[in-house]
Order: sequence, then structure tokens, then C-alpha cells
Amino acid sequence: MDLLQISAVILLIATFGIVVRRGFSDWVHAYRYQTIILAVIVSLIATVTNILELYLVAALTFGIKAIAIPKILFYVTKKLDSPIKLEINPYVTLRSSVIISALLVIMSYFIALQLPIRSNEIVSVFLPVSFSLFFIGLFIIISRRKALSQIVGLLTLENGLFLSALVLTNGFALTIEIGLMVDILVSVVVSSILLFRMSQTFDSVDIRNLESLRDD
Amino acid sequence: MDNLPSLEHILGIIQVIFIIAFSPLIVGLMRKIKAKSQKRVGFGIFQTYYDILKLFRKEEMVSDQSSWIFRITPWVNFVSAISAGFFIPVFFVHSPFGVVGDVLLVVGFFGIGRFFMMLAGLDTGSSFGGLGSSREMMISMLIEPALFMTLFVIAGFYGGTNISTIVSSAHETSFLAVPGILFALIAFFVLMMAETGKLPFDNPSTHLELTMIHEAMILEYSGRSLALIEWSNAIKQMILFTLFINIFIPWYIAEQISFIGIIFGIITFILKVTVLGSLIAFIETNVAKWRLFRISDLVAMAIASSMIGMIFFFL
Repeated sequence: MDLLQISAVILLIATFGIVVRRGFSDWVHAYRYQTIILAVIVSLIATVTNILELYLVAALTFGIKAIAIPKILFYVTKKLDSPIKLEINPYVTLRSSVIISALLVIMSYFIALQLPIRSNEIVSVFLPVSFSLFFIGLFIIISRRKALSQIVGLLTLENGLFLSALVLTNGFALTIEIGLMVDILVSVVVSSILLFRMSQTFDSVDIRNLESLRDD
Repeated sequence: MDNLPSLEHILGIIQVIFIIAFSPLIVGLMRKIKAKSQKRVGFGIFQTYYDILKLFRKEEMVSDQSSWIFRITPWVNFVSAISAGFFIPVFFVHSPFGVVGDVLLVVGFFGIGRFFMMLAGLDTGSSFGGLGSSREMMISMLIEPALFMTLFVIAGFYGGTNISTIVSSAHETSFLAVPGILFALIAFFVLMMAETGKLPFDNPSTHLELTMIHEAMILEYSGRSLALIEWSNAIKQMILFTLFINIFIPWYIAEQISFIGIIFGIITFILKVTVLGSLIAFIETNVAKWRLFRISDLVAMAIASSMIGMIFFFL
């Protein structure tokens, strides 16, 4: 199935879009593209495996993750009056984080080669990609300073988990799937509120501000 | 069958002449599209030819402080660009001179041209020339490893560094069958923009001392030498476009020597080059020049992309 492989490649490229961007809205846009591709992949898997439920999951992914969550994040970033909406100096520079992400992708392919669960085409194509999404999301969380990019990293990580669960089990029961989606939505809302509070308290969304505890 | 090799050689030479003659037209076309998309009228698409002809008739001024390097650089540049053109299949899969060299030799020819260009920039002792040379050195140092890595990915997938081999196997197995090539495509596109001095890397139409890179090196040239440099740059750009087209979208390239096939190949090639040129011109309209030290971000992207392509090759 070349189509599966190509969609996996495009998903990886879209994930790199999150790594290379610097601006607040750029991340959210990149995340939205990534999620749209993820929804396309879910419907592709549905076509290949003939599980009709998965079309519903794809629609849910598209509706909640590609429309609702970016809307919320855009709303929050518009409300923020943070002076500079750029990732100015992350802990790891952008160019080295691109290279490190490439290494993470390589690592996840090797890990997937070691695992004895490459039962069918879908698993062998998408499992390494889902691992790389997971690792890149984790890497974004630990290497960036702004709180919003950490949210986007968390969402990327979640996309990776979602994809790996999907390809390994051919989809959970639909109720669990819906519950997960709503969970994500709620977590994004909660973290947006936190983000907003943070920017009101510190005049910035730099997470270094959270390192020192104060008694007031 | 006896006269087939000679026919092939004639075709090869026609391809080189095609590249040499057609290259200023592409430059003119891209300038026109750029002007149009910026709501300017712009010159006609044949303006580059007029420019070159006029410069050939003009008097040439050479600084008496400069050495022989300054005088031979345009010729070295021109000859190296043309020699690189001999190895490129344009509308026919086989380039008959491919037995002599492969894609690495083409990169080497570009390297020689660039090396002499940097020397010439330093040679006249003007501060702009030195500045341009040092910037060019930095950029070429960054893109060289990325370019080699990308070429190795392509060579790995398509079985060899010989360009004719690459193009014919790319023609047989379209890149949809080998998704790893998509990564090489992205990397090659970025590097192509860098090599030809397109907008995120270098603004080819600026003469502002803070931003110019390539222009700074050729600031001292005039007359015939300037014409040669402009022309060899056009040829280099054409060669890179041709490589890009024939490696990644080689559909309808002529595989056998037949009249219809070759005519068809020429027409589709012209179409593809026009589309690629317009795409790049639109991209150039949409981006601003990046800060010099952010250029390495883009190159890092190309390197990362070709690294993943390499992984796909080994899977």
C-alpha cells in the first residue's frame, strides 16, 4: 500500500512544521494541518480495514482536534497581551531541534524494528510514525519556554498516542474514543485558562516564571 | 544500429545547446512573473538576452590592482557551468557523456565556479567583495553537506550516482512508489533555492550592502565579464531546475530515440520548467529575505529531511 506510506511521510513532514515554526499562531496552524492529515490517515485505515466506526473517529478527530482546539487556542492567543508572540530563545535552538527531531524519527524507526509486533502493513507503516510523533511532542515540551508551545507539544504527543493505539488495536470502542476526545478538549480548555492566568500574573507566558514559588 | 551512438552524441550536444540558449529565457520569465505578481509591469521575457548582448558590446573596465584571477574567473565560471551541462539529461534519458562523470562531478563543477568567484571577490580588495565572499563561503559550507546527503539519498533509491541511471529509473518507478524520495525532494528544493541565490537566502536584485551576497562579489565586473557571469548563473540555475525536474518529475521524458518522443519530451520539459520557474517566482514574492544567521535554520531543515530520507532507504 503506497498510499499508506505516502500519508505517513506527509504526516512526518507536517510534524516537522511544528518544530520549525517560531510564532504562536504558526504552531497552531501547523498543528491543525497535522491533525487534518491524521484524520485523513484514520479514514484511510478505515478504508483498508473496512471498519466503519473508524470513519466516525476520523470525523471526530477532524471536528474536535482540527477545528475546535485550534479555535480555542487562537481565541486565547488573541486575548493574551504578551508583548512578543515568538519563541525567542528556547532551551535548544531551532536548527538543532530540527536535527534532534530527525534523530528522534530515526530512533523511533529503529525501536519499531526491534518490536515483534509488525503484524500487518498498517502497523509496520504507522507505528514508527506514531512513535516519532510521541517523541517529537515530548521534545517540544522539554525544549521550549513558552507555555503555548508546550500545549502544542502535548497535543502532538497525544496525536502520536492516538495513532499508535489506533493502528495496534484497530480502534477502541467508540465510547472510549469519544471520551478521549472530550478529555483532550477539556484539557486544552483548562490549560488555556492556566495560560491566560499566567499571562495576567506574570505579563508573559514564559514557563521559567513558574519555577520560583512565592507566598502570596 | 551502427550510427546510433553518433545520433546519441548529437542529441547530447543539442541538449547542452538547449540549456545554454534557453537559460536566459527562464531568468527573464521568472523576473517577469515576479514583477507581475508584485503589480509591476516588468521587462519583457527576452530582456535577459538583450542585457547580455549589450554587455558584450560594452567596454570592460578592469582594476589595475587586480590579478589574473579576476580576469579568468568569468571564463572559469562559464566553462564550468557548460561542462556541468554536458552530464544533464534534459529531454532525452541518456546523456552520452554520462560515462565520464556523475552527479558528484556536476556538484564539483559548481564548486570550482564558486571557488573562483569567491577568489575574484577577494581579489580586487574592495570591502564589498570580501564581504560577499565571506558570506558566500558560509552559505556554501552549510549547503554542501546537505546537498551531498540529498544526492546520496537519491542515488541510493535510484541505484547509482550516474545521472542517466537516476533519471531512467526515476522514470520507470515514479516517486509515488518510493515515498522516501519525498524527503529528498524537500531537501533538494531548499538547496536549489540556496544554490541559485533565491529569496530567503539571497536577494538577487538588491544592491544594498547589508544584504547582498552574490551581487557583492561581482560588483567590480563590467562589460563582457559581467555578461559571462550573468549567463553562467542563468545556466547554473537551468541545470539545477533540469536536475530537479528530471529526478523528481521525469514523466514523459523521451526514452527511445524517436522523433515524436523527443518533440514530446521537449514540449513537456518546457512546460515543466515554466511551471517550476513560476512556482519559485511566487515563493520569492511571498517571502522576505531572512537574516543571514537564520539561513542555517533552513539548511538544518534540509539536512533533517535528507536524514529521514536516508532512514527510509535503509528500511
